[in-house]
Amino acid sequence: MFTQQLVNGIVVGSVYALIALGYTLVYGILKLINFAHGEIYMIGAYIGITTLAVLGAMGITGMSITLTLVLVFLIPMIYCAAYGITLERIAYRPLRRAPRLSPLISAIGMSIFLQNYVQVAQGARDKAFPSLLALGGFNFMGAYISGLQIFILATAVGVMAVLQLFIQKTRMGKAMRATAQDRTMASLVGVDVNRVIAATFAIGSALAAIAGVMVGMYYGLVNHYIGFIAGIKAFTAAVLGGIGSVAGALLGGFLLAMLETFWAGYVSAIYKDVFAFAVLVVVLIFRPEGILGSSDSSDRV
Amino acid sequence: MFRMVLRVVGFLVFITFLVAPLRANAAALKIGVAGPLTGDQAAFGEMLKSGVLLAVSEWNNRGGVSVTGTKMKVKILWGDDRHDPREGVTIAHKFVNSGVVGVVGHFNSSVSIPASTVYAEAGVVQITPASTNPKLTEQGFSTVFRVCGRDDQQGEVAAAFIVDKLRKKRVAILHDKTTYGQGLADETKRFLGAKGIKPVFYSGIVQGDKDFTPVLTAMKQKKPEVVYFGGIHPEAILLVKQMRERLGIKADFMSGDGVFVDEYYKIAGKSAEGTYLSFSPDQSKIPEAKNIIQMHRKRFGKEVGAYTIYSYVAANMILASIAESGSNKGSKIAAHIRSKVWATALGKIQFNKKGDVLESPYVFWQVKGGKFVQLN
Repeated sequence: MFTQQLVNGIVVGSVYALIALGYTLVYGILKLINFAHGEIYMIGAYIGITTLAVLGAMGITGMSITLTLVLVFLIPMIYCAAYGITLERIAYRPLRRAPRLSPLISAIGMSIFLQNYVQVAQGARDKAFPSLLALGGFNFMGAYISGLQIFILATAVGVMAVLQLFIQKTRMGKAMRATAQDRTMASLVGVDVNRVIAATFAIGSALAAIAGVMVGMYYGLVNHYIGFIAGIKAFTAAVLGGIGSVAGALLGGFLLAMLETFWAGYVSAIYKDVFAFAVLVVVLIFRPEGILGSSDSSDRV
Repeated sequence: MFRMVLRVVGFLVFITFLVAPLRANAAALKIGVAGPLTGDQAAFGEMLKSGVLLAVSEWNNRGGVSVTGTKMKVKILWGDDRHDPREGVTIAHKFVNSGVVGVVGHFNSSVSIPASTVYAEAGVVQITPASTNPKLTEQGFSTVFRVCGRDDQQGEVAAAFIVDKLRKKRVAILHDKTTYGQGLADETKRFLGAKGIKPVFYSGIVQGDKDFTPVLTAMKQKKPEVVYFGGIHPEAILLVKQMRERLGIKADFMSGDGVFVDEYYKIAGKSAEGTYLSFSPDQSKIPEAKNIIQMHRKRFGKEVGAYTIYSYVAANMILASIAESGSNKGSKIAAHIRSKVWATALGKIQFNKKGDVLESPYVFWQVKGGKFVQLN
């Protein structure tokens, strides 16, 4: 059972980690918790469904599975990046000089707005995500591992590796790190802060879109409310791992998923959320900046 | 001086706004209808809506309901409780304050039961089309009724099916912690115990969760032959999908009326094949129901759902009682409901003192070939 639970937890961890990255990137640069991020993930899942429907109608699904797969991830990424940039423009940029609480409230407001907008536009019922890959599975060390789980893990790891390369090796990545360190100084040395912020939102949202499509493929079912729960969990994961730290988001995501899965499997399925949040509280008491976070004394809320 | 005039004018405008809605409502008979109209159980909400709309349109097309001599049109006040007990109680207060003569609702037992206290205190008749938890009618309220069955009946039928029909011994029981879900699971457990069977695995899950593989993996260790789930379709779909597709568990999957919606086999697909569900016998075989099924097809362009006709009957019963007794007082309506044998689209219905129907058979259906088939 242990191996099976491990496998169970890994996919959930990948999803949490991808969404948590969005939270942590935005926090690193703007010191703002983007509460509407969970809704971007939900929108990504819905756009995935729409993309599949369109591709199916155009006959592309029948022609080439690889092309379909690429597009079903790419198109939601583009859309959600656009959503993220727009979100920043209308809800956060006007409040950049306002006290810290204002953009937070604005974020919550956008979250509620997006949830209800999707509910009105797409209906209040659950929507089925068409199954794309019949990948089967195999038994390994007492656990049943499905091809889909491997695919999801591989995609998540690949994406995170690309992100790490991007942040470390490219100019934009360097600009993002500089802006995160000290926004004023970065602008003084010529970094276009607005562009960096827009790029951060775009990247975070694209990651959330990937997570959304993966969740759609994995569970087969989306509704307008999934962003709320996933958002809270991913935010918890980001804080657990150390908000502002990319490695922290990864660590937090997988750690939270493992804690939940093992508690649910071995102790009590009903109280797994209680356990996960209890761990968060204990960690924050002893290490307020999170496991991998840096204690940045300049910004205590 | 000018300020004074301004204040007086403002006050008069304010008063007008208060009075206007009162005038608009004066001539209509209001019934409250509450259930999960939006959210993950909106499929049930839709059935509730269609059923009530059919009933109310019929009455309004006949000119309305005559109360103490005057014919009044029926107006529906909708309450979306999203299967949340707190919403339900707020809606109950709202209905009572708006002066409804009766309520069709709520849908989920966990909402109907707290709301029933509010309605009972105000003497407003409440007929629920779908709340099956026994506690609802055990509270001793004389104005509460249900046109569906009870979970102790469902549990008994389920236990008998497992032991006598399926002849299986290793039973795992899951529930969603709600009044309905856990209630149903516990009733089944109780009746299984009476037949000498103890479940090999018993656990709750969290409603709204997506990933049940941890608890299903733990359940798989106990090698169950039958998995009985007390809960509603969103979770049932995920459970059966994950059981079959992710963990390769071959045990039979069984549940109750909360899963009896088309979404179940539509979304769960192949994994749903072979699922056993307890529900009332085929409504399309009841002659009185044929008319409603036709009307529903014509007006909404789709087939009735599991609880559409129940909702129709509940609404009809309130309106018919008002018309036949000529009164819009809760106690009189309730007394009238209890006084006769009703010929309804669900067959003959008669209520006992508690508000339960005297006869409410539950039979088993199975998902075969992508749809629900009643088993004999």
